[in-house]
Amino acid sequence: MTLIVLLLGLAVGVLVGLLGIGGGVVLVPALVYLLHMDQHLAQGTSLFILLPPVGLGALRQYWKQGQVDLRAGILCAVGMLVGGYLGGMIAIPIASRHLKGLFGCFLILAAFLLWRKPQAENQTMASAAGDSARG
Amino acid sequence: MVDGSARDAGIFGAACLCGIASGLFGIGGGTLLVPFLALLFAFGQHRAQGTSLIALIPPTGALAFYAYAKAGYVSWQVGLLLIPGVFAGGILGGWLAKRLHPRRMQQVFAGLMFALGMWQAISAWAH
Repeated sequence: MTLIVLLLGLAVGVLVGLLGIGGGVVLVPALVYLLHMDQHLAQGTSLFILLPPVGLGALRQYWKQGQVDLRAGILCAVGMLVGGYLGGMIAIPIASRHLKGLFGCFLILAAFLLWRKPQAENQTMASAAGDSARG
Repeated sequence: MVDGSARDAGIFGAACLCGIASGLFGIGGGTLLVPFLALLFAFGQHRAQGTSLIALIPPTGALAFYAYAKAGYVSWQVGLLLIPGVFAGGILGGWLAKRLHPRRMQQVFAGLMFALGMWQAISAWAH
């Protein structure tokens, strides 16, 4: 069990660095299907894992190249903090089954967003480090 | 480009929406924030990703996490075991991405995510 979880973390991390999709987008279905967690438990555990600043190393590379809008970043951080609480309050009373279905719809939307990402961004330094920007 | 304060308000509003998705689905929120910044506020792709990264440095999911933790929806043991793997894997993935074809990998993964999303939605609602 412990070994499976450690390997799962490693696999999720590889996908995050490699593909530029969010850790949570992969973690939640992995926890639901591989560890047979309830949808709520998987989402809460995913939020717990995302608390440490996993993108710190990647941020350094962007910062050095002047590709950071600090003002907008701070606004986004505050907005997401507030919105996150609202989202949590919405999610908790929803029946697990409906939450699972909604998550499925969100995955489909995220798949479209990932698909339409322009070619250009993959040519430069962003391909590796930058893509961990996606939470 | 709209003037400063209207733009600030727009960015804040978009970030609130990303936060709601983050709390609702237990994810980081950057998946939505990067395209929002790029499409709605004319950020270049690098600048959108860099700005998303700095927005994600503070624990923006903390309040959402608190809501889940209070309701007992956190598996602490599994979470603690996953953190080192995700860190190490991220470094490995970044290294690999320079050697593989990332665009192709993204498309393969978008397809997988679409299938997984359909599966989740259907298994939840088809009865």
